[in-house]
Amino acid sequence: MDISVLGISGSPHRHGNTETLLDSFLEGSQNSGAAVEKVVLKTLQYSPCRGCNACHKTGECIVKDDAVILYEKILASDCLAVASPIYTMGITAELKGFIDRQQYLWARKFILKTLYFTDDHIKRHKGIFISTAGLGWENVFDGAFPVITALFNTTGFEYYDNVIANNMDAYGGINKHPTALKEAFEKGEKIAGVLEKLKDKGSLKNGKY
Amino acid sequence: MPIKILAFAGSPRRYGNSETLLDWVLGSMIADPDFIVEKVALTEADIHSCRGCNACEKLNKCIQRDGMDIYHDKIIAADIILLSSPIYCMGVASQPKALIDRAQVFRSRKYVLKLPIVPPERKGKRLGVFLATAGQNWSYVFDAAVPSVKCFFHVIDIKDADISYLMINGVDEKGAIELHSTAKADAEKLGKSLIAEIKKRLSI
Repeated sequence: MDISVLGISGSPHRHGNTETLLDSFLEGSQNSGAAVEKVVLKTLQYSPCRGCNACHKTGECIVKDDAVILYEKILASDCLAVASPIYTMGITAELKGFIDRQQYLWARKFILKTLYFTDDHIKRHKGIFISTAGLGWENVFDGAFPVITALFNTTGFEYYDNVIANNMDAYGGINKHPTALKEAFEKGEKIAGVLEKLKDKGSLKNGKY
Repeated sequence: MPIKILAFAGSPRRYGNSETLLDWVLGSMIADPDFIVEKVALTEADIHSCRGCNACEKLNKCIQRDGMDIYHDKIIAADIILLSSPIYCMGVASQPKALIDRAQVFRSRKYVLKLPIVPPERKGKRLGVFLATAGQNWSYVFDAAVPSVKCFFHVIDIKDADISYLMINGVDEKGAIELHSTAKADAEKLGKSLIAEIKKRLSI
């Protein structure tokens, strides 16, 4: 059975450092036989969350646009690789605008209790955060991690790993970074194998018992 | 010269908890004839997100023409800048994040072009305020928002020590903040202390 890996690029800058790093991760996954798809948020039409809380009653977002379609795609994927550069110590406004739209899923989980992910489901769905930052500060990704954690928690993914590279300004871009692209490729290769194994184990177990 | 207050209400929900908190802080300033208070609801301000093109490093301005053309100048002119936001998914909402990211033009001016943000006589006198509300009552619910906010004030020449924070957790549904035991009093107290501090700094 094919493992599906969905890459989401949250950078407004096409084919920049972050998207290139995501590409390398996805190439690695493809190399391991996964079915790979990349979505670039900049090319979609969606508005940010309005905070109307209508979804708290219905479990549906009142705004019908590309964001809802992409959430359906996320829920159908085995691996979610979400990528954003660090702008002003956080993820981009594009990605934040998209993540805030997950409120309807949060409402299904915690208010309406119509959505539930078993531990087993979460273990079989891996989330990867891919990011670059211009600054070399060690703490430059710290503001992003909790937001990405919120995304993975709400959509039923285990926050499995990061592929992050800081100090882009000093390196002169991702292509001049000594290890990042290789690391991304290898982690992409690895995740497909890990998920495949989990899937095989699951089907065997289902057959046996 | 009147004291200029620029207040950004960052929530997409008008008149909700974070905006109410902002209104409480602004209350005594609005009542004071020495102040001109302008409140901007970011959801109506037409501020697009930063494109990451880095053109501002050369041009000293943004290539996008939108609401930020107005607020860029107002940010420079203001004596106190306030920003309020609800916490969504552990961060500021995307509307204030767009404003914060568009401050990149100030960062380019300051660090790449080495130009001043405010005239020398106003440097070090401005004050910043961050107000936030969160539905969750976790103590760390504001932690991921604060670094972005600090950067925003930093690039517009407001020092860390000159930023005040009032962050209220555990308020979710519209109007919940009205029932909070200390929020209103703390916000009004903050408003009065800002008035006293800025008058002292501007010798008014």
